[in-house]
Amino acid sequence: MNPETLEFRSSQAYSVGVELELQILNCRDYNLARDAADLIGLIDKSKHPGEVKPEITESMIEINTSIHHEYGTLAEELAQIRDTVAQAATRMNLRIAGGGSHPFHKWSERRIYPTERFKYLLDTYGYLAKQFTIFGQHIHIGVPDGDTAIYLSHIFSRYVSHFIALSASSPFQQGEDTAYQSSRLNTVSAFPLSGRLPFVQSWKEFLDYFEQMRGYGIVESMKDFYWDIRPKPEFGTVEIRVFDTPLTVDRAADIAGYVQALARYILTERPLQPSRDVYALYNYNRFQACRYGLQGKLVDAYRRRHVTIKQDILETLELITPHAADLRGSAALAKLTADIVADRTDAAWLREAYSSRGSLNDVARMQSELWMAGALVN
Amino acid sequence: MVQLTYLPQLPLPVSPLVLFGALLLAGLVTGELVHRVLRLPRIVGYVLIGLALGASGIGVINHQIEREARVFIDIGLGLILFDLGRRLDLDWLRRDRWFTATAVAECALTFICIFFALMVFDIQPLYAAVAAAIGISTSPAVVMLVVQELRAEGQVTERALNLVAINSVVAVVLTTMLLSWIHHEYHAGEIIMLSHPLYLLSGSLLLGYVAGGAAIMLARWLGKHKDLQLVMLLGLIIVAVGSAAALKLSVLLALLTFGVMVKNRDQNHDLMQANIMKFGQIFFVVLFVMTSATLNTGDLIAGGTIAVVYILARFVGKSVGIMSLAHFSGIRPGSAGLLAIALTPMSGTSVVIVHGTLAVYPDFGARLAAIVLSAVVLLELLGPIAVQYALKKAGEAGEERV
Repeated sequence: MNPETLEFRSSQAYSVGVELELQILNCRDYNLARDAADLIGLIDKSKHPGEVKPEITESMIEINTSIHHEYGTLAEELAQIRDTVAQAATRMNLRIAGGGSHPFHKWSERRIYPTERFKYLLDTYGYLAKQFTIFGQHIHIGVPDGDTAIYLSHIFSRYVSHFIALSASSPFQQGEDTAYQSSRLNTVSAFPLSGRLPFVQSWKEFLDYFEQMRGYGIVESMKDFYWDIRPKPEFGTVEIRVFDTPLTVDRAADIAGYVQALARYILTERPLQPSRDVYALYNYNRFQACRYGLQGKLVDAYRRRHVTIKQDILETLELITPHAADLRGSAALAKLTADIVADRTDAAWLREAYSSRGSLNDVARMQSELWMAGALVN
Repeated sequence: MVQLTYLPQLPLPVSPLVLFGALLLAGLVTGELVHRVLRLPRIVGYVLIGLALGASGIGVINHQIEREARVFIDIGLGLILFDLGRRLDLDWLRRDRWFTATAVAECALTFICIFFALMVFDIQPLYAAVAAAIGISTSPAVVMLVVQELRAEGQVTERALNLVAINSVVAVVLTTMLLSWIHHEYHAGEIIMLSHPLYLLSGSLLLGYVAGGAAIMLARWLGKHKDLQLVMLLGLIIVAVGSAAALKLSVLLALLTFGVMVKNRDQNHDLMQANIMKFGQIFFVVLFVMTSATLNTGDLIAGGTIAVVYILARFVGKSVGIMSLAHFSGIRPGSAGLLAIALTPMSGTSVVIVHGTLAVYPDFGARLAAIVLSAVVLLELLGPIAVQYALKKAGEAGEERV
């Protein structure tokens, strides 16, 4: 991207796109494999929906959907991409898994995917680059202009604990139970340019800030900011990056449906104004969500109250239900509601798998069997 | 004069322990020198010191010492074959038919190429056929050890290991079946002609099958404890090697079957991936030193031309077999050639097979040895280098640790 033209490209409001970072496993001990290049090569030989790209280490791939306007087509495309990737993987005797972290791989064994940018990241960040072998879901929500993007980013920040708790699926890291529901975000926090959008109120203010940072020589493009929620001018979207990759593409689509309806609620009703208090509480709320998931505490800056994240999500679900209906995404919300009421989370599923099998190799295997769905049967 | 009876009598008897330790250290030092100075796989060093100390060199390692060290060699070979069997993934072969077709083509073409090349050089059909069958095999030990040394991972590595396993099985089964022909040639009765191969094949398969079943049951009972499971597997491997030898079965086929069973029949995933190769390292050094000590570089001079013809025909067969079909099974362009190169090594397995036939008809074995073992001498040295080249070139070697 050329930094001189940081223009905000308008896109249709509430359009939605999803990126998923996925784990490539071998099927001997279900440790991470190193076959990203071969796998992408094989997938690209055939026609398939969406895009498949390399990520920072050779054990990861990223899949992107195209732009969607409703939940149904998004879920369908994700399932198609999953089938394509899963079938290619079985031909190479590999497995693909969701989940925010691999349960037992050792970061020191990872190898950086050989591109200029990834080599630069290794040079800059040292071991953090290899520790960045963690797997996230990014959701893009289309907005018409930069000012709306700034507004939506600020209000989304109020809901950051929702995003984390709904997707949390990285309880294990490096062979240990971390006690967190999402341990992945702790790794992200180590990067100097991680964090959140500064408290700017318009696209113009944001450009001034960006120019200032560029003047200091800290950043060259938006890519250098590893913020949880950031405007993405070249796509015309707000991008949320705090999600762990869920264990299934179905859950990934459901969460996208939630975010889409939430965005419509925020932008049509404009119920809240950006508040510095949200950011004062931000790290506390974020930690609670990472550590405790749905049972974590949320301090609501607007209503000045303490509530569990679970309770807050259930209340929000009610608020946004009409918007989901207008977007033809009610099914997603219904599934999420049922799961949340029953405390069915991916992190819980993983811990359950571990306690039933007693081996993290089995957890990784079951993770891959779950994600690949039918591809392993035939 | 006082008799110092507490002192040992001279000359000192050969102690198997001292021997084992000494061979281990000699292999270690030479391997490390070769690795540091020439940047070649350490195995090349083990082979060189073996040649230097053995029949072709100063002759320190003689038949008696070989007998003493036999147990270590057998355990080393058993560990490697078992671990290789674990790499053979039948599910993969079922899912990627093109890969299966590649394996079949590679085995068939290797046999055909060697057979006709040897016929052209006036080798009798029976010898040509047995030598060609042995030529299908690729040394499991060399490929596995170089993979381990490089910490290689990736499509070329995985496919090479699966092909090595398939090659070994096909080579053993084929030579065993050719035993009938050999028996016929030596006018053994019809019963022997048919029952011997049948006993070897079914007995070895059954032994591997039973060991595999026992491993899965014991693993279920032990639970998910890596260390316990490792000891259990080692115990079963040693018992299986010993039983195969005692029952005059094929150690190779039995242990491979054992590994294949463990990988493919463990439906409840009771077994953990115990790291056999790491444990086996000390045996592998001695295995290579000893195997090459028995080789005679004189063979190479005697069988010079034939050795070269044999190696070339084998390489052509394997390359054409792989390169013609590998493309369809979805590997990167260029990897097929590297895969063929990675299948160059020939050593332990073929020596074992040759010695197996040697035991039945010494005179036949000796003539066969002249053809095959001269090629083995060359490939013992070239093989590891070829595997290292292929895996590095494929970009599958792990990062070198400083």
